[in-house]
This record gives sequence, structure tokens and C-alpha cells, in this order.
Amino acid sequence: MATYIIRRLFFLIPLLIIMSFIGFLAINLAPGNYFDTLKQNPQISRETISEYEAKYHLDKDVFTQYFYWLVNVSKFDFGYSFAYKIPVIKILKLRLFNTFILSLSVILFTWLIAIPLGIYCAVNQHKFSDRFFSFLSFIGLSIPNFFFTLLLLYFASKTGILPSGGMHSLGYEDLSGFGKFIDLSKHLVIPTVVIGTSGIAGLQRLMRGNMLEVLRSQYVMAARAKGLSENRVIYVHALRNAINPMVTIFGGSLSGLLSGAALTEIICSWPGLGSLMLEAVRSQDLFLFAGDLLMTGFLLIIGYILADILLAWVDPRIQYQ
Amino acid sequence: MKKKSYSQFAIGFKKLRKHKLAVFSFYLLLLLYASAVFAGFLAPYHYDNEKRSLSYNPPTKIHFLNEDGKFTKPYIYEMSYKFDEFYNRIYTEDKSQKYKLNFFIRGDKYSILGLINSDIHLFGVDPKARLYLLGADSRGRDLFSRIVYGGQISLSIGFVAVFISLIIGLFVGGISGYFKGKTDTILMRLCEIIMVIPGFYLMLSLRSIFSYSLNSLQIYFVIVCIMSFIGWPGVARIVRGMALSLREREFVLAARALGVSNLKIIARHIIPHTFSYIVVSVSLAIPGFILGESALSLLGLGIQDPYASWGNLLSESMAIAQIKFHPWILIPGFFIFITVMAFNLLGDGLRDAFDPKMNIE
Amino acid sequence: MVKPIKCSIFLLFLTFTLFSAIAKDQESKNSKYSGRIVLSTTSDPKSFNPIVAKETSTGTITNPIFEGLTTTNGVTTEVEPNLAQSWEVSEDGKTWTFYLRKDVKWFDGKVFTSDDVVFTFNQLIFNKDISTSSRDIFTIEGKPFKVEKVDEFTVKFTLPTKFAPFLRSLGQEILPKHLLSDVVENGHFNSHWGLDTKPGDLIGTGPFILESYLPAERITFKRNPNYWKKDKEGNRLPYLDKMSYVIVQNQDVALLKFQEGEIDYFGLRGQDFPILKPEEKKGNFTIYNTGPAFGTNYLIFNQNTGINPITGKPYVVPAKLKWFTNKKFRKAVAHVIDKESIINIIMNGLGFPQDSSMSPSSGFFYNPNVAKYEYNIKKARAILKEIGIFDRDNDGKAEDADGNIIKFNLFTNANNTQRIKISNIIRKDLERLGFTINFVSLEFNQLVSKLDSTFAWEAIILGLTGGIEPHFGNNVWQSSGHLHMWYPQQETPATAWEAEIDKIYNQGVQELDNNKRKALYDRWQEIVADELPFIYTVLPASIFAVRNKFGNLNPTSYGGAFHNLEEIYIKK
Repeated sequence: MATYIIRRLFFLIPLLIIMSFIGFLAINLAPGNYFDTLKQNPQISRETISEYEAKYHLDKDVFTQYFYWLVNVSKFDFGYSFAYKIPVIKILKLRLFNTFILSLSVILFTWLIAIPLGIYCAVNQHKFSDRFFSFLSFIGLSIPNFFFTLLLLYFASKTGILPSGGMHSLGYEDLSGFGKFIDLSKHLVIPTVVIGTSGIAGLQRLMRGNMLEVLRSQYVMAARAKGLSENRVIYVHALRNAINPMVTIFGGSLSGLLSGAALTEIICSWPGLGSLMLEAVRSQDLFLFAGDLLMTGFLLIIGYILADILLAWVDPRIQYQ
Repeated sequence: MKKKSYSQFAIGFKKLRKHKLAVFSFYLLLLLYASAVFAGFLAPYHYDNEKRSLSYNPPTKIHFLNEDGKFTKPYIYEMSYKFDEFYNRIYTEDKSQKYKLNFFIRGDKYSILGLINSDIHLFGVDPKARLYLLGADSRGRDLFSRIVYGGQISLSIGFVAVFISLIIGLFVGGISGYFKGKTDTILMRLCEIIMVIPGFYLMLSLRSIFSYSLNSLQIYFVIVCIMSFIGWPGVARIVRGMALSLREREFVLAARALGVSNLKIIARHIIPHTFSYIVVSVSLAIPGFILGESALSLLGLGIQDPYASWGNLLSESMAIAQIKFHPWILIPGFFIFITVMAFNLLGDGLRDAFDPKMNIE
Repeated sequence: MVKPIKCSIFLLFLTFTLFSAIAKDQESKNSKYSGRIVLSTTSDPKSFNPIVAKETSTGTITNPIFEGLTTTNGVTTEVEPNLAQSWEVSEDGKTWTFYLRKDVKWFDGKVFTSDDVVFTFNQLIFNKDISTSSRDIFTIEGKPFKVEKVDEFTVKFTLPTKFAPFLRSLGQEILPKHLLSDVVENGHFNSHWGLDTKPGDLIGTGPFILESYLPAERITFKRNPNYWKKDKEGNRLPYLDKMSYVIVQNQDVALLKFQEGEIDYFGLRGQDFPILKPEEKKGNFTIYNTGPAFGTNYLIFNQNTGINPITGKPYVVPAKLKWFTNKKFRKAVAHVIDKESIINIIMNGLGFPQDSSMSPSSGFFYNPNVAKYEYNIKKARAILKEIGIFDRDNDGKAEDADGNIIKFNLFTNANNTQRIKISNIIRKDLERLGFTINFVSLEFNQLVSKLDSTFAWEAIILGLTGGIEPHFGNNVWQSSGHLHMWYPQQETPATAWEAEIDKIYNQGVQELDNNKRKALYDRWQEIVADELPFIYTVLPASIFAVRNKFGNLNPTSYGGAFHNLEEIYIKK
């Protein structure tokens, strides 16, 4: 097991290299570069822009650009953001925490609802409650997040129960510790619900499917035949096997912790990385995008390694050499 | 072997028929797909047939009673609007002339699958007036017609994209999980590289690579390809996880002991066991693709006007003014919802019917 | 040039005498101080460094912090003294002497002197190592301005030629030498005062001091207690204690926040008007409609006759170039721009047709008497027929005399939904002429790279932010300019009318007599409306809603609601 993890970690480096190169390539293949936007400003001369382009090696081919960037990254210098003119790391740091908070809240919300719901629906298969909860979770799935956000904000604003977007109230600094917590929680509700509901249906369905499958398997029947109580059969024997494939998914969802949900963040005015990344992709802010990719990639792979370990832990049949 | 699998499907269909909701969903989807195919005939207008003076015309009132309160053939009035002091559009009916609702009326030309060319529409009114069953959009185009036409794109985009990503994902995942070792490592790293890049941004950056003067058909294919490209690693990873566990199962071990070839084992024993997962994931992924297209539309990078897709129709509704004054603009969302529900209920039924373990009983 | 000062001093005197009696006993218990104003902005600043950054989002935030020698009055659009209290100009119009105010202090207490001005120009703007677009404004024909210190509070500018918009361009922010000279020497200025700056380190002379910045959320300013400007009664401005910008990217969410009362100001789109107008009383705000805005939308055709040096092929297919360079072709197109429908459908009836290349709100230089093109498809068809373009074979598609189908790509930028909608209306009408249009919306930078370097485009619908000073658009209108979009960077003007515009611009920039200048730019607007390199569409109305609690409001289209921010107070 330990060697497996070490090997995975070792693979991390070439992986991140290839991945960040893909990011570079994607931005570079698209015609134009960041400074083209400046060319539309009547007050900026061509010379000034060429200066910029030369400074960041944008006038060279993608391999050279990437090479320069990689050399710098190896020195823990992730470059400057073209748009913000400060080191990429500093910009990411400004928003990292906000995105993390939101993602954590979303993951908690989704998993704490979806998993029990999936189990409940599987146990009560074809009953009204199964249909009802499935129906509910589909609503979340089929409304586009951006639209759902606006709808919720609209109702929040009409009723005045929840703040219409943002992360902190105007007087946040003056609140007590508990007040701050309440304030933040209130602001978290809408984005969490929006992003969360779109994920619940998927997880709930999968969990329900897995559970149904397991409930029909021979060992569950054997356990029932042995006379074990239904609760014990479901929650001890069946659940443990049904949850197995979910672990992989959980590992994958960890990467989402830092990628953010751009559209929802924008509409909710949530100060996360999502909106920043959207802007970076669209304006071809190369180093900012590559920097964030690197970070996301790192987290995702950590997530997958964790998932693999967890998988081995819940399902002893799986062995890693 | 072959004969058995055939009978297995026959049993499956029999079981499916008992699953009423699934059957209902199946017919509903059939109806939706059929209406997309026959969009030209069903829609009273072409999707880009506009009347600018009828911006945001509310759903047309169809009158069944004449002035005396007696039943008559359904008819409508012509509408026109004026801005009031708040710059609200106030629509009024011009009662001087009635326009009968006609069936099999001649109108805009259309073509069905490129085979049938016609200008006969199921229903419509005299071209002097406009019939808006579900209201009009900003340029006075009939929303009902646009929804029907939009189904062509939205109903196929998810289906095709899911299909492509599923095929790739199943094979890569199956092979990876079954063979383990180096194959597994290489394939999974490949998946991870693609998955590492957050889908939405990858979609955007891929989309911008293909931006140069594409027409709408090309944009459609680009979007399908991008979506399947983003979708398959997710399938592969999960299938691989299941395959890892399945390959240790008795029946696989037995098959291997009997000398069955690896590919055969994957195709016969591993992939069929992931079936329940596949059915669920297909029915769940389709709405994801429909909505993904709508997010692209919102950013102006999806299917472009004048062509309609449910996604770009819904992205039109992204304003308080629409919710407040033109709520019918939200109707495309209802169609997305219906489709998603139907796919999922059908998926449920299929899963129950075709689950190989059901045969054990 | 001394005129406006005299005028304003006279006014000041007049009002002073009128109010001094009342003012005296109220001075001590002036109740105008206190309160907070909350505004919203659509995006984060990109930096706090006004020299390096040129985005509007940054300008919004640095405006209350930094000041220039002059400022443009938000109501009259006249240039007024700011950090410089007066100036003199030599006979030849090339040497300007500025007398600085002596009562201006930086936030940290240091006195503002001519050293700061000289430093800002010589060490920052004219420093080749610093990336700033300001350099281009203060460089004429490659020659920078000479900036010298005369004494502690006097600065002399020597210009290479006469430069009419000089005073207006001196709105350029002045930065403190005592804090930045080391930074410049170390070569760190380009990334100095970025978003990671501690708010207290940002030192300017303006009415407000940056207090805190929460990325993507909020920017808060506090009152500068030592601000040099005083009101009529001699009380120190500004009145407001705090000012906050809430960062809200989505306009609809900003609308909700305005309705809830979280923000005090909202810039309306046409569609928002019916939502807010009925709520004026209940929400205790007033909607101001100040007339046409400045942001233009126009259609351009590629008239570039050049040849791509790499492929050896012309940038524009010769047959198409023939259409695009034909004035009648462009006139026909101008006749199918359905401005009324665009205004009614997209701006909810709250917009204005644009005929002239300057916005009607730009005041002095605006010329309303230019050629106008009404929406008339028949007329457009007739004009096209004159030049041999009509449907020759009854297939619904128009062909030119050589039998080529009239077919071209029409681009616009994807991040502007309003413009996409405008483009779609125009596309539809062009199709009515029998044209085959392939309409594509592209990411902004990709569009620009086509306009600017690859020249691989045929027709584009785009916008520019206009202003009140025509010369600041010289990059667009002079044939050598790189923003001369229909055929940029020409060595010699391709057409007689482009040559005439070049001449007008060269004369206009050196003409110090305002009326003579106006005559020149009037002619320019006539030429543009006649030759139609830009086929203008519509201008949105500049409408905004402001809470009634503020006093001293004087909203204009040019200055917006808060051009006199320091004078605004909260009514009790």
C-alpha cells in the first residue's frame, strides 16, 4: 500500500507537467492573446503592446513559452497575471479560502442529503416516497444553475429572508464571532443550495442503484435467511458494499473544492475562484489559468489517491501492488 | 450463448412493460423526439420568422365563443402594443377582425430530415395575424415554434454526446480495471489529465479554439465533440473501479480458468455488470449536456441565434424583467425538466428490467 | 484659457457673498458630515496603480484617491483647475506654466509639490521600463513633453507642437514621489500598488482614502479629513464619512440589491425601467434620464486592400472588397439598420438612433447636421441595383454584376449579449436584401486579433466608448491609426476622404481656437456620415436611479450621478 501511494505521488510530477501543458496549449491554440484586448484601447500604442508581448514571451511559440514558465515554476514562481499585474499566487490566495468554504459547504450538503436519500429510496423502492424524493432531486438537476440562482435571489430579495448575494454583510467586521458565523452561513445558503441540488440527483440515483443491487445479492439474502434484523442487513451488510463505488466519486469531487462554479459564483457575487477562472480563460490570462490548473490538478490527484486508499479500506477484495 | 442473451432481452422487455411510469416516459420521449423530427410540420412558423412590432407578445388568447356567447370555431384577434408611462408593453386586441384557427394551413417552407419538403403546417392562422401559443420572444418570434425546433438540437445533443463518451468510457474503463498494472496506470493517468482541468473551463477553452467562423451546424458538432471529450474519463474511472472489484469475483475467475479470452471476459462479464450504472449515468448525463449547452449559450458561445436550442432559449430568461413581465420565456425550462424526468424514469425501469442479477431469482 | 477660471471665481464670489451670512453661525454645527454611500461596480479593479492599469474597473476605484492637475467638470464638460490652481500659456501655445495649489497634502501628511508632478511625468510616464498607456497621450510624433520644475509650486511643460486637448489630458493622476522613487529605482513599479497592497499604503491626495478591499466583494473608502477642497462656507469636503463599492457582476442582482436598499445607485438598462419606475416613491429614489449615453454600436466592413505577406493572398477576397469599398453598398446597408426596432426591442424603447460619430451628449463638438439613413428596405434594394447587386436568378440570393453571391461573415463579441441581439436584427435585415450572412460571436480578444493583426474578417459589429474630446479618437480616425478598423495603419490614405479626415485631425489637434476646432470636427462628422466607414446604430439612454437621501446631486450623462462626489451629503 505504501509503495503504491509513493508511486502515485511520484507520477504526480509528470502528470502535472502534461496537464499544465494542455492548459497552455488550449489557451495558445485559441487565436489571439491577452494583450489583444488592449489593442482596442485608442490610447495604447502598438509599441507598448509589443513590449508587453515580448516581456512575457508571448511572441514566441507555445513550447518556448511553456519552457520559460516551467523553469519559473520550478523556482516556485508561478508568473504574473496579465490582467492583475501581481503574482498569480497572490491573486489565488485572495480567493482560495472563499471557494474552499463554499465547496466544503456544497459537498457536505450534497453528500449528507444524497446518500441517506439514496438508501431510503432504495429501501422503499417504488413506494410513493421513493418517487417523491426522486422527483424532487430531478428538479434540482434539470434547472440550469445560473437560472436557479437568479430565481432564488429574486425570491430571497422579495421575502427578505436571505441576503441577495455576496459573502459578508456590510457591517460584518463589527459582528461578534457567532454573529459572523450566522452572517456567513446566511450568505452560503443560496449558492450551496443551487450547486448542491444539481449534484444531489446524480449521487442519490447512484446510491439508490448500488443499494438496490446489493440488496438483491446472495449474501444479503443469506444474511436475511440467517434471521438478522432488516436494519442490520441494510445498514451493516448492504450499505458497506453499496457505498464502495461512491468512494471513487467522492475522491473526484475533492478537485472541485478549488475549481469553483463560475456562473453561480458570478450571479451570487460569491468572491471565489470560479469567476476569476472564467475571466482568465476568456481573456487568455495565461499564467493565471495555468497556475490555477496546477493547483486544481494537484488537489484532484490527491483526491484520487485518497479515494483509492478509501476504496481499498472499504472493499478488502481490492489489492494494490 | 447468443441465444440466451436474446431471451434475456425478451424477458427484460416484458418486465419493462409492467413498469408503468417507465412505459409512459418512453412514450413521452418518443413523442418529444417525434415532434423534433416533424418540427416543421408541428410549428406554425419557421424558427426565425419574426414580427418586430410584436415584441414579447403574451400567449395569444384563443376565443371559442363569439360575441353572443355561443360556441364557434376557435378564432383569435390581431394584437398591437404601446408603451405605457413605465415603458411597459401594453397589448390590446384589435376586435375589428377575427382570424380563424385553421388546420393544415400553408405557411413557411420547411423540410423534414431533408426528405420531405412542404409548407403545410398542422395549424395556424391567416398571416395577417399571429398565433402565439406560448407567447413571443423579443423579436416577435413564436416561442412554441422555437421550442419545437429547439428540441432538434437539445434532444440530440445530449444523446449523441453521452453515447460517444459512454462507448469510449466503457472500453477504456473496462480494459483498465481488468488488466490492472501498466495499462491501468497509463489509461487512468490519461483520464486524470483530462479530468484535472475543470470541465467548464476546458469546455470554454476548447470552444474558443474552434471559434473561427463556424456555422451553426459546425458549432453543434464542436459542442457535441467537446462534451463527449470531457465526459468519457468520468465514465471510464467508475467503470474501472467496478471492474477492479468484478475481476476478483467468482464468475470472472471461473471464466478465466476456463480459458475465455480477456476481451470476451470484459465484453461478456465485466461490462454487462456495469449496466445498472450505465443506465443511471446515461439518464443523468443527458440533462447535464443539455444544460451545459445552455451555459455556453449564456456566455454567447453555444448554439447561436437564430437557431434555437432549449438551452439558448432558456438563457434568454436570465433577467428579472423576463421573470416579472414575460414569464412565458421560462417555458423552455419546463421542456428540459420533462425530458430529464422522462429519461430518468425510463432509466429506472430499464435498470430494474435488465439488471442481470434479477435473473438469479 | 484663463476664462473658465475667472468665471468660476466670479461665481464662487457671488455665492459666497450670498451665503456667508447664514454660513457663519452654522459652521460649527454643520450637519452635513457623516453617512455612507454604497455603490456597485461590475468587476474587481485589476490594480490600484493608476499609471499601469487602464481598465475602467480600476479607474472607478482609483478616481476618488488620486487627482490630476486639471479636471473636467461633470456638468459643463469644461476643463477646470484641480491640483493646479492656475496656468499660463506662451504665445506659441507650446510652453505651459502651472501654478500648483499650496494647501494640498498627501494622505501621509507630506505636502504636495512640483517634485511630485515632475516625478510622475519624467520618472513614471516617460519611463520606458514602466508599461503605461499614458505615455502615448503625452507623446506627439514620437516626442515626449518636457516637464520641468520651476520652483516648489510651479511646473513648466514644453510641448513639441501645439496640442489642443492638452489641458484635458492633464487629468492624469499625480503620484507621490516620496513613496515611489525607491520603487521605481528597484524596478518594481509595474507590480507596485497591486491588489495585494495594504489599503493604508495607497497614498493619494483625493477626497477618499482606501480603507479595505475584500476581493470580488467590496471596496470601502473613508473620508480624507485633510482634503484641500472646501465648500462655499469654507468647510472641508467631502461630507460623506464612508463610501463603499459592492462588486456585483450580474446586473440583475445589482438591481435586486438596489431594490432592497443595499446599494444607493443603479444604472438602468431599458428593460429595468418598468421594474423600477413604479417603485420610485416606495423605494425613496429618483430615476434620472440624462439622454444619450456615450457607448456606440456600429457595423464596419473590411476595406483593407492589403495583401497578407505570409500567404501572398489579399486580406479580403477581391470580389468582396469591391462591394465593401463601394460607398453605395455601405449606404444601402445603412438603410436597413432598423434603429427604431432595435431601440424598442433591445432597449425597451429607451434609446436613441445614432447618426453622427459623436454622441449627442458630447456637447460642444457634436454635429447634429449630418446625413441620416432611415430604415427603408426598398430604397436599399434600389441603391444596390444601381451598382448591379440584385437577385439575378430568382433564387432569393442577391448577386453582383460578375455573378458572385453576396455572402460574408459577420462577427461580434460574445461577451455582450445586447450587441449580439442588435447584430441579429441587423443580420435578419441584411438577409432580406438577399445577402447570405454567416453570423458568429467570438471572444473579445479573438475578435480584436482579427481586427488588429490577421485582418481576416469581412464585417464586424462592435462598439467604442466615446468621449467629449474628438482628438482622443485619433487612433481610430487617422488612416495611420491602428484602430482605423476598416483599414488600419495605412502608409498613405487609401481614399480622398480619409486623406481629408487625416488633415482635419492634424489641424484640429493644433488649433487652439475652440470655434475653429469645432468647425473642423463638424466637417469630420459630415464626412463619416456620408462615407460610412462606421455604420452607426443606436445609443442607449443613460438612465440611473439614485436614492433621494443625497443632497447636492446634479446628474449628467457625461459625469453620471456622482461627478461631484465630494460635495454630496446625506440629507437629514
